[in-house]
Amino acid sequence: MNRLAVFFGSDFLYRFRTDPVAVGATVVLGLFVLAAVFAPWLSGMNPHDPAQIDIMNSEIPPVWQDGGAPAFPFGTDAQGRDLLSAILYGLRISITIGIFAVMVQMTLGIVIGLVSGYLGGKVDAFFMRLADIQLSMSTLMLAIVALAVFQAAFGAELFADMAIIMLILVIGIAEWPQYARTIRASVLAERKKEYVEAARVIGLSAPVIMVRHILPNTLSPLLVISTVQVANAIISEAALSFLGLGMPVTKPSLGSLISAGFEYIFSGSWWITTIPAIVLIVLILSINLLGDWLRDVLNPRLYKG
Amino acid sequence: MTFPFTKAAAGALMACAVAFGAGAAGVAPAEAKTLRMAYDADPVSMDPHEQLSGGTLQFSHMVFDPLVRFTRDLAYEPRLAESWEQIDDRTMRFKLREGVTFHSGNPFTAEDVVFTVERLKQSPDFKGLFEPFVGAKAVDDHTVDLITKEPYPLTLTMATYIFPMDKAFYTGTDENGEPKDAVVKHGNSFASRNSSGTGPFVVRSREQGVRLEFGRFADYWDTESPGNVSEIIFTPIKEAPTRVASLLSGGVDFIAPVPPTDLERLGNEADVNLVTMPGTRIITFQMNQDRVDAFKDVRVRQAIVHAINNEGIVEKIMKGFATVAAQQSAEGQAGHVPELTPRYDLEAAKALMAEAGYADGFSVSMMAPNNRYVNDAKIAEAVASMLARINIKVDLTTMPKAQYWPKFDERAADMMMIGWHPDTEDSANYTEFLLMTPDPETGYGQYNSGNYSNPRVDELIVQSQSMVDLDERAKVLQEVERILYEDAAFVPLHWQNLAWAARQGVHIEDVVNVMNFPYLGDLVIED
Repeated sequence: MNRLAVFFGSDFLYRFRTDPVAVGATVVLGLFVLAAVFAPWLSGMNPHDPAQIDIMNSEIPPVWQDGGAPAFPFGTDAQGRDLLSAILYGLRISITIGIFAVMVQMTLGIVIGLVSGYLGGKVDAFFMRLADIQLSMSTLMLAIVALAVFQAAFGAELFADMAIIMLILVIGIAEWPQYARTIRASVLAERKKEYVEAARVIGLSAPVIMVRHILPNTLSPLLVISTVQVANAIISEAALSFLGLGMPVTKPSLGSLISAGFEYIFSGSWWITTIPAIVLIVLILSINLLGDWLRDVLNPRLYKG
Repeated sequence: MTFPFTKAAAGALMACAVAFGAGAAGVAPAEAKTLRMAYDADPVSMDPHEQLSGGTLQFSHMVFDPLVRFTRDLAYEPRLAESWEQIDDRTMRFKLREGVTFHSGNPFTAEDVVFTVERLKQSPDFKGLFEPFVGAKAVDDHTVDLITKEPYPLTLTMATYIFPMDKAFYTGTDENGEPKDAVVKHGNSFASRNSSGTGPFVVRSREQGVRLEFGRFADYWDTESPGNVSEIIFTPIKEAPTRVASLLSGGVDFIAPVPPTDLERLGNEADVNLVTMPGTRIITFQMNQDRVDAFKDVRVRQAIVHAINNEGIVEKIMKGFATVAAQQSAEGQAGHVPELTPRYDLEAAKALMAEAGYADGFSVSMMAPNNRYVNDAKIAEAVASMLARINIKVDLTTMPKAQYWPKFDERAADMMMIGWHPDTEDSANYTEFLLMTPDPETGYGQYNSGNYSNPRVDELIVQSQSMVDLDERAKVLQEVERILYEDAAFVPLHWQNLAWAARQGVHIEDVVNVMNFPYLGDLVIED
């Protein structure tokens, strides 16, 4: 039997197919990812190109309301940007930041977690106290401080150009302890097992044992936190952009779109803030539902007969 | 604590006086009336001469008193000057009010006026306004002469800028060994942290950017003022929707400016007292010719002016709550030329760019404040996208005004936004500050970040300053506007309308005016 057949016949896939919530969440998430990837082909205009924006088109309501225009299905924002295009491009930025930030977290977390768990002693104590210190401060607070300092030190102009990279780094670095602690816990459980002893006896080096032998056995919790963390990273990005420390208004992510439209919510132009907010909520919800389902499936103690 | 009196005793005495005044004697109010107000920003300094801005002058009208002030219909109203007469071509004599005391307890005399005019002439921001003046001369304790270099038509108007400061209080050196009367821009001078004026309110505490508290001055000279506000709590709220929400929820009693997006809603609200009037504050962009060579070419400047759809900005961003401008002088001002009309024409703009050899465009940096003018950041964003259509790529940075003004003084970007309201309501005032050749000696061109320089304009404006025949003077000022229009010396956007809102029972309609200096000393609050 080849590997594909194994996968199709697996318990995992069976449980996926029979769980409508999981299937629904995956379909929604898949649609969002596709929309983000194909944003340039799906959207009516490039919202990042100022030459395509016409102020005379500002605050047009969505097409189903009086005064809506077919060219702008979700209406336009205060500068005349097509909201659908802005959401598609914003989705792109949000998902990119979410995935890359999690990759930064994962890399840092795996390395630190493996090393502390396997070596123990002073190295372990050092990294875990560091994690404790970092966990005692909220991610958002750390990120706000770091971004505000960067913005003040290098000027808003450079900040606008570097915003994506800065957000990825800041959110990535701020959340590594989540990974490090999970991995370390698994490593502590695994390192006393016979197969590790055996590897050591045949003379394998510590890095090889950590990466080839222990790491594959810690993957299932990793998968679960990763889904949750992608959602968290997207939320952090949206929150930072909402506070004006994330993506600039000229290259809006979902958070900056919500923030820009917030001003108009009292005056009737509800769609500028509401539609991106709904998109953000649905995106986060689908990722979280998928994460929850994964946790149930991969955790043998929560076996739901 | 931001009222660090060197004379602690005086401070303590005064606090007692305020407490007693309000409680027992019943100076103005029968009971304590607190006004909680929110503007978009608080004044950058307590020094009335540090920055020539609306915020500073609004503060000055609370803590200080001018010699004369404008009434709502732009007539002159005596304040610290009781009466005045022209005694010769160049001299106007003011009879000062007697029995007026400063917050510090010092009596107000002609010497204080002389001191204030001297200080104004040293202030980098105000010296341009006072350039036509030789100075002030005390005749006796309560008589003072304002002497100009040439016959000057606007002496009385300029007296609205003279807010006498307490000479005794501002004399000497502070704890850092700096002279107390020093005018330091964006610095930490004595005058920027302490104040002693004759005005209706005393600064009780100040935390920059957070909260400013005033108490009514117990010994205020104007006992006939109907004002019954005994305490003001001023909170800056930068976000327009938050400001509106605090008014609606009863968190504050009085807000300004009111964002155009919420005018309709506030107007329909029964509990809100909304007051609007057309204004004369022009909003412009300046194009820095020292930083960008292309801006030296009049065709490029014309192209930029043609590319910017300022009618669209007024209609869409300002919601019609502004008047489209093609020149500086608003209708009714001496220099207004009715034939000058807005120039939006994208094709013409592209043609001009091609003609100047910039068909492929270039990049410029742009800066604008985000809490100074109504919708300033949004206007800048719209202008940036309009310029993208003629291939000018704009790097836009917006920032709060506390950071913006230092940047503006450095001329830190290629295009910078500036709004100007001539507190004199006179056409020449716009050009003196915004477009005359910058000269640190005279103070002309202090806010000319474009470094536009045209000797003919300079000459005409200087000439207008000593013209007493107002019809001839209007012709000269109109010629200036025509030259500026032909030269595309700046990008005119619009004149901003004014709006204030308060809860019902706070009678702001009696104290606001087209200068946007609410005379809060005269404000009446009913329950």
